Amino acid sequence: MNIIVILSIVPDTETKIQLNNKNVEMDQSTEWIINPYDEYAIEAAIQFKEKHGGEITSISFANGKEEKPIRKAMAMGVDKSIIIETSSPLSSISTEYMNAISTQLKSSNADIIFTGKLVTDTNNNFIGPSVAQILNLPIITEISSIHFSDNILTVTRNNAGQVEKYTSSLPILLTTDKSLNTPRYPKLPDIMKAKKKTITRVSYDINENSPQITIIKSEFPQEKDSGEIFEGTSEELVTILIDVLTNKEKIL
Amino acid sequence: MTIAIYLESNNNQITKSSLEIITAAQLIAKENNSDIFAIIIDDDISNIITEVGLYGVPIIKCSKNITSYQSSLYAKIISNAVKDSDIIIFPSSVHGNELAPMIAMSQNATSIPDVIDIIDQNTFKRSVYGNKIHQLVKSSGKIVLTIRSGIFDLPNKNEIKPEIIEIQSEIISENNFPNLAEVLNSISNRPELNEADIIVSGGRGTGSPENFATLIEPLADKLGAAIGASRAVVDAGWRPHDEQVGQTGKFVSPKLYIAVGISGAIQHLAGMSSAEIIVAINTDKDAPIFKIADYGLVGDLNEIIPKLLNSL
Repeated sequence: MNIIVILSIVPDTETKIQLNNKNVEMDQSTEWIINPYDEYAIEAAIQFKEKHGGEITSISFANGKEEKPIRKAMAMGVDKSIIIETSSPLSSISTEYMNAISTQLKSSNADIIFTGKLVTDTNNNFIGPSVAQILNLPIITEISSIHFSDNILTVTRNNAGQVEKYTSSLPILLTTDKSLNTPRYPKLPDIMKAKKKTITRVSYDINENSPQITIIKSEFPQEKDSGEIFEGTSEELVTILIDVLTNKEKIL
Repeated sequence: MTIAIYLESNNNQITKSSLEIITAAQLIAKENNSDIFAIIIDDDISNIITEVGLYGVPIIKCSKNITSYQSSLYAKIISNAVKDSDIIIFPSSVHGNELAPMIAMSQNATSIPDVIDIIDQNTFKRSVYGNKIHQLVKSSGKIVLTIRSGIFDLPNKNEIKPEIIEIQSEIISENNFPNLAEVLNSISNRPELNEADIIVSGGRGTGSPENFATLIEPLADKLGAAIGASRAVVDAGWRPHDEQVGQTGKFVSPKLYIAVGISGAIQHLAGMSSAEIIVAINTDKDAPIFKIADYGLVGDLNEIIPKLLNSL
């Protein structure tokens, strides 16, 4: 099986964000990690390989900080990595980001492609379906279980309190949700082995004619006015709460 | 200008997040004198048409007799319907988030996911970096949007009889594409987190999965609320993943959010700080949740919740 994972590299979700001239700025201390939802994709790829054999290739973009997280993915179990280099950094929300991934995938003969359901920094859940559409591949997003036997893939996902069960053949692109699995921690021997795995760097020419989004302003969300804090006996507190929700907010 | 809105239905009723995008479309249309039409794909649409007409949507393009969701088939039907549209809006639901990017790519349009405010017909506000930053983004040309649920109110009633245009559904779906084999029974009768007006959310302070079940669940049911949970209790296995509110869970904007025994880690606040009214119940007076709460009750949830249940 030819298994592909699309990995975005993002600032650690605990990073304190700074603004400089209305631009989001990352300083040297920022830790760059594999997009958290993509870790479920890596784990799904590893489990798929363990059951059905094959090789796992990751596709990511260079941003100058990608080596460490990519090596981590390789320590988890990715066999080889392709890193796409562009003349200027591509935002994961841009159409060209999807086009560049698709260009790589076209020559990969993938049987199954995994990526996270959302990229946390740009808050973008469009990558999977966009790439699938460009390549005319079947897509199922936000999967919470996966089973493959007799050439039939069965996956489920949660949708508004219901569970949808899909069947499909390969090739397919799947986006992974948190409930799918628990990503493994790399063991020391695997971390050592990962250092010797192959990273291939390829370049991609950005097509300036693709649809573009311009960021015209970045700002911190308006702070909420501080509210009222009540102390007292539980009877008093309950009386106050019911009073404000009923009479002031008129929500009960 | 023409605005297309994809309205999702469930049991022949338009979902709340879909009704909210009618409001969003009408907001853009008012500024530009644009035309709006709705796209509906379902097997029985008579109820839905009446409901959509109630909110003054003048044109409905519909595809009947399609019994189950299939992304590639739906994407083809919608693509055909929106060829001449300038803005195409989807609810930020599981299906909406799957279809919107497919339509964007098929139409060579800019895709703008998870919009939280509309400035004008090509300028939109988004939240990024786990809600820590708000960005205004602009694009020219054709645009496909999803809109976060709970941001816009329900549309005003303005009953009209919409013009119905049937759209071709003869497109044969590919055999090798995913088929929705079955929809398994609803996990619960409670509203979905993204659709709920009220959310009761519990954290580590509830003490145990059993306490969570005996305190948070009845309170949610009494209020007709959805249940939310902090990352700590989800990671501990007390609650299912799809209840997690926060940066690696769901972003919610209900009218009322009741945080019970949640200290308010930044990653949780990111997911719920846009709720209209926030009530926090916590023993620790210095808990960060109180900084964003409209009403903070400093006290023991084990005493407060049972009394609250008795008084409601």
